[in-house]
Amino acid sequence: MKSDLVLSKAHLSYWLRQLRKEADLIGPLRSTDGDIVFSSVENIHDIVADCPANLPCQKEFLFPQKEEMYKFSPKGTERPGNHKKRVIFGIRSCDVSAVGLMDTFYGGQYEDDFYMERRKNTFFISIACNRPDSSCFCIGLGTGPFLKEGFDIQLTDLGDRHMVQVGSAKGRQMIKGFDHIFRRPKKADYDDQYEANLSSQSKFEKRITLDNVRRKILAGKVPDSFWEGVASRCFQCGGCVYQCPVCTCFNVVDWKDGGAEKGIRMRIWDGCMFKGFTKMAGNVWPAEQIAARTKRWYFHKLLYWPEQSGKFGCVGCGRCTITCPGKIDMATVANRLEKKD
Amino acid sequence: MKNTKVHWTCKDVTRKKNGKRGELYAPVMVRVLDVVEMTPDVKLIKVEKPKGFSYSPGQFLMVSVWGAGEAPISITSTEGVHNEIELCIRKVGLVTSALHNLKPGGLMGVRGPLGNRFPVEMALGKDILFVAGGIGLAPLRALVNFVLVRKGDFGRAAMIYGSRGPSEVLFRDDLKGWAAKGMDITVTIDRKAEGWRQNVGLVTEFLGKQKIPIKEGYAFICGPHIMIKNVMRDLSLMGMPTTHIVTTLEAHMKCGVGKCGHCYMDGKYICTDGPVFEYPELKKSGAF
Ligand SMILES: Cc1cc2nc3c(=O)[nH]c(=O)nc-3n(C[C@H](O)[C@H](O)[C@H](O)COP(=O)(O)OP(=O)(O)OC[C@H]3O[C@@H](n4cnc5c(N)ncnc54)[C@H](O)[C@@H]3O)c2cc1C
Ligand code: SF4
Ligand code: SF4
Ligand code: FES
Repeated sequence: MKSDLVLSKAHLSYWLRQLRKEADLIGPLRSTDGDIVFSSVENIHDIVADCPANLPCQKEFLFPQKEEMYKFSPKGTERPGNHKKRVIFGIRSCDVSAVGLMDTFYGGQYEDDFYMERRKNTFFISIACNRPDSSCFCIGLGTGPFLKEGFDIQLTDLGDRHMVQVGSAKGRQMIKGFDHIFRRPKKADYDDQYEANLSSQSKFEKRITLDNVRRKILAGKVPDSFWEGVASRCFQCGGCVYQCPVCTCFNVVDWKDGGAEKGIRMRIWDGCMFKGFTKMAGNVWPAEQIAARTKRWYFHKLLYWPEQSGKFGCVGCGRCTITCPGKIDMATVANRLEKKD
Repeated sequence: MKNTKVHWTCKDVTRKKNGKRGELYAPVMVRVLDVVEMTPDVKLIKVEKPKGFSYSPGQFLMVSVWGAGEAPISITSTEGVHNEIELCIRKVGLVTSALHNLKPGGLMGVRGPLGNRFPVEMALGKDILFVAGGIGLAPLRALVNFVLVRKGDFGRAAMIYGSRGPSEVLFRDDLKGWAAKGMDITVTIDRKAEGWRQNVGLVTEFLGKQKIPIKEGYAFICGPHIMIKNVMRDLSLMGMPTTHIVTTLEAHMKCGVGKCGHCYMDGKYICTDGPVFEYPELKKSGAF
């Protein structure tokens, strides 16, 4: 059950201020060194709402870089958990799509309770992209620049006002009690939204259809030497896996408080691009060669994700393009593969 | 035949304990009942079986000691044969050392049973060859005992078991007991050693010397990667249909439930899609 509303920009900060009374408001803020970073909003006017290319992505709030799973001591264990209610304002369509993929991955037969707990308490107000960045390629994947479904609330900037689309129960919860600031859209609002969408679509510099790439790999047209070439440029910095809103790998470590019998079992981000990720006793090392690791990352996103869930493990956010010092990011590699015969 | 997932009681055990929704990563604390030193670096640890816990041959547990961490360990006992859960653990690093330090009366965390099981029903009425190398005997032992108590349901059973040296031969009592039940057992060590009067050589050298018709028989294999690879290849060259060859794999595992990504190999999670695989599946992936 979706519904559309219109909100004057003059009312936006009022609405967010009210929402902040019930939850931690997270939004895109400019850090002192100029980057756009998602963090807790103190002053609503600091929000930078027109920022397609933010780094890092929002996954920190659902799958933090370091999650305390269990505190242990001789007395027993305790699960700290995270029940903080959060409203995340200003994430982009591709990232909403990425959250959808994470939901699939962390849900399923073995439901990850740490993720689900955070997810349950997180509300998203996303913004459709009127000005995609040069690194964006969501358009070829159907994961942006605006969404038809999968969002809680999707805003489209119409100049002096926003089109507000409500797409979930969480979305309805966020507009409840605010009838006085929202109004029903008129034809002119829909016309402007249509214009905004159309003009956004025409602005993409990158047109990549991963379907073609996938077909080429499946047809055996990509030799291992191609992956070796890609891998030879990898610095193993892990930027790609850490920045990617779809990458989910982690390590589990027990941290001990000095020599004492108490400490914390926590999970921390890990990445298949790192040496040692697959190392086993007896020195068996399935992905010892860096080429095997690079290929593994690409195959997971391009072949196995579609096989398992019908969707690519990439939403075209372009963060790996911005991050990768070796220029072997998804867009670049996919482009090369598309041109290859 | 598909490897059906039979049990998923981890959540249930946890749920009963906490009276609420399952915690995927919460170990259940169980009491250590007995610790037997099998070789200088291998111990058999027997722990109490939690209420409502049931498992099948081939499944494993994420075993943990707070402060050291978790490690995947195969269940080497067999339901209906052993009252306790038995784990055979080789000391190789941090977690396994902490496990070796456990004494009877101590506590160990377990999550599971995890993973699929040996699809042993495929071999009903047929002859079975077990091939084990080193600690790989641990998961196979669960299956051997499973098969031997159902002797009437299967044909003949034979085993080739290889160790590096005489002091590393595991489960000597079981081996004797199985032989007494009519199982044809070949124990071999890699290199000649003083006082050793049994076979010497790699397990592959003894393939085909049992009274198991290769073309109709079934093989269940576990051991080091390279041994698995060679045994599967040789058996199939000797004429055993690849669909009759089953193995169980090891991988670096951090979660055991398909989330951490460590065990991921060619589109499969060894922890949840495996650890037991049939040869054709592995051949497809190119790793074997
Ligand atoms: C399904 C399965 C069943 C297993 N069953 C048994 C068993 O019955 N008995 C037994 O003794 N061992 C078994 N293992 C192997 C056992 O899990 C590893 O030896 C153990 O995890 C090593 O942990 P550690 O902390 O002691 O070693 P570490 O200190 O972590 O490292 C020692 C060495 O082991 C490697 N290693 C680290 N973590 C793992 C891991 N999770 N899996 C494999 N290698 C790892 C390291 O790269 C290093 O080379 C099994 C493994 C799997 C996947
Ligand atoms: S692979 Fe790159 S472009 Fe695709 S979702 Fe991950 S970071 Fe974004
Ligand atoms: S960002 Fe580029 S260089 Fe860094 S690990 Fe990823 S692929 Fe390698
Ligand atoms: S062990 Fe974590 S995904 Fe398999």
